[in-house]
Amino acid sequence: MSQPRRAVLVVEDDVLIRMEAVDMIEDAGFRTYQAKSADAALTTLNGASDIGILFTDVDMPGSMNGLVLAAHVAVTWPDIRIIVASGILGVGDGDLPDGACFFPKPYPTDQIIRALHRMIGQDLS
Amino acid sequence: MTDRSAASGPFGDNAADLGLTVAILAPRGRDAAVAAAVLDKAGIASVTAASIPALAALIRSSIGVALATEESLIAPDEGLLQQALAEQPSWSDVPFIVLTNGTARHRSDRARARIDALQNGVLLSRPLHAEELVRAVRSALKARARQYDARDQMHELQMREAQLHDSEAKFHAIADSINQMIWSTRPDGFHDYYNHRWYEFTGVPDGSTDGEAWADMFHPDDQDRTWARWRESLANGQPYEIEYRLRHRSGEYRWVLGRAQPVRDAKGRITRWYGSCTDINRIKVAEEQQQLMLGEMNHRVKNSMAMVHSIVSQTLRQADSLENARASIQSRIGIMAQAHDRLVEATWTETAITEVVEAALKPHSISTGRFVIEGAAIPIGSKQALALTMALHELATNAAKYGALLNDTGQVLVEWHRDDTTTPPGFFLRWTERGGPTVRSPGRQGFGSRMIEQALAGYFDGVAELNYDPDGLRFELTAPLSGLSQQE
Repeated sequence: MSQPRRAVLVVEDDVLIRMEAVDMIEDAGFRTYQAKSADAALTTLNGASDIGILFTDVDMPGSMNGLVLAAHVAVTWPDIRIIVASGILGVGDGDLPDGACFFPKPYPTDQIIRALHRMIGQDLS
Repeated sequence: MTDRSAASGPFGDNAADLGLTVAILAPRGRDAAVAAAVLDKAGIASVTAASIPALAALIRSSIGVALATEESLIAPDEGLLQQALAEQPSWSDVPFIVLTNGTARHRSDRARARIDALQNGVLLSRPLHAEELVRAVRSALKARARQYDARDQMHELQMREAQLHDSEAKFHAIADSINQMIWSTRPDGFHDYYNHRWYEFTGVPDGSTDGEAWADMFHPDDQDRTWARWRESLANGQPYEIEYRLRHRSGEYRWVLGRAQPVRDAKGRITRWYGSCTDINRIKVAEEQQQLMLGEMNHRVKNSMAMVHSIVSQTLRQADSLENARASIQSRIGIMAQAHDRLVEATWTETAITEVVEAALKPHSISTGRFVIEGAAIPIGSKQALALTMALHELATNAAKYGALLNDTGQVLVEWHRDDTTTPPGFFLRWTERGGPTVRSPGRQGFGSRMIEQALAGYFDGVAELNYDPDGLRFELTAPLSGLSQQE
């Protein structure tokens, strides 16, 4: 029996900030996975079947940044919803896959939690 | 009389005196005296030459007209006369009036050749009337005066040319002495002059950038832009100014500021364009570095904000009271600010781990001898320095509240070393407390222990472990040596 896709994969290279994101998302009632790079995120995605949301930073070390990761995930796992959060300026809708949300850093906690519920809620029915 | 100054100088000091004087060569009888008297009556100055050498000397002094009897020219030293005439300057063609005996029919070839040798000779047959002589002499003097005019004009032209040459030499001296590239073009923009600095900077052969070939020296990405701007100036006569990259002789492109101004004639028509190129590469590079620096600063500030946000929300989430939370937040942000100060001093790049440890523990070393610090000055990156500072702060705060620093005798040993026995080389850091109260494991993980275990391990790409040994708390960090300075 496949698990419902209710978990959130948090991709963030800064440990302190990743901790905060994980706390925020777990406090909202979601299970989390953590990855410190896009490459590590892909490994996690390949191994876990219950991830419903990708929550990623943009500027990260490794072979791809968060925007490239988001585009790749949107194509490979069309069921996974995407949230991009970054402190860098100039990320536009054109940089994001269809249906993805963008939030600035530091995190606007309430807005992010509402977005998480909205995204997973649609899949729950 | 011609102008004295113009007639002197290279043309002989006596030229002014004798310039319009008639030199008479008529050694036989009273011929010379008669001729002189006739001319004097007509207001014409004359001087008598006793022999051919004397006339030759007068010709060298530049006389107005030579008047000679045909027979006086027949002498062994007649060649002297031809020699003196040959030495005359190019403008000078001394008029000769030869008083002949009889008609041309009876003249021998030798005599004819002798007269031809005078070059500018007219013949007057004797006997002749005084008026004929005066008219012939006046006419010859008039022709001679024309020669002087021609000479003066030529002299004037030579003077101007010399002045022009002088001023051009001055311009070149100035243009080549300054540290700027100078160029000049025709009104249509055709480049026909560059100073030495241009050739020195670009390293191209003299003249190779004349015409429009200069554009090849510009960076390919700047050529369209500079051409467009230059054409615009050529079309509307407005000053030209643009920054672009110019190929240096080393092969690299350097930023220069190009400027040009038109020079106009009295009617307002552009006669030339004069331009310069100033090497502004250093300024440009500094500007670019400043932009990079600003970008980096912005990134770090944003990052710091996010870290503060993370610290505050995690501290609040786990605090048992608002009072404790406030104190924790203040001290955590304080130590973070202090770590930043140190990073600024170390120009944001790398610092030595020794300094980081000492600075982090400084606020906690109230009495001396409580800390034993052992380790080499290994370079450490800015993010790792910040994380280590904060972790050590949490450890020391914890030790002061519950551990070895609670009483007056406990000690803390902080030691680290690089481990070259592993591949790749590793790094090991240990915090050991001794002599404090018996240690008990805390019920739940607060921000401090998460900072110490999870965050520090993350920043160093290693493994960290807190051990609540009853004899004293122990903390160990094992990481690859490369983890100390890896960038985000």
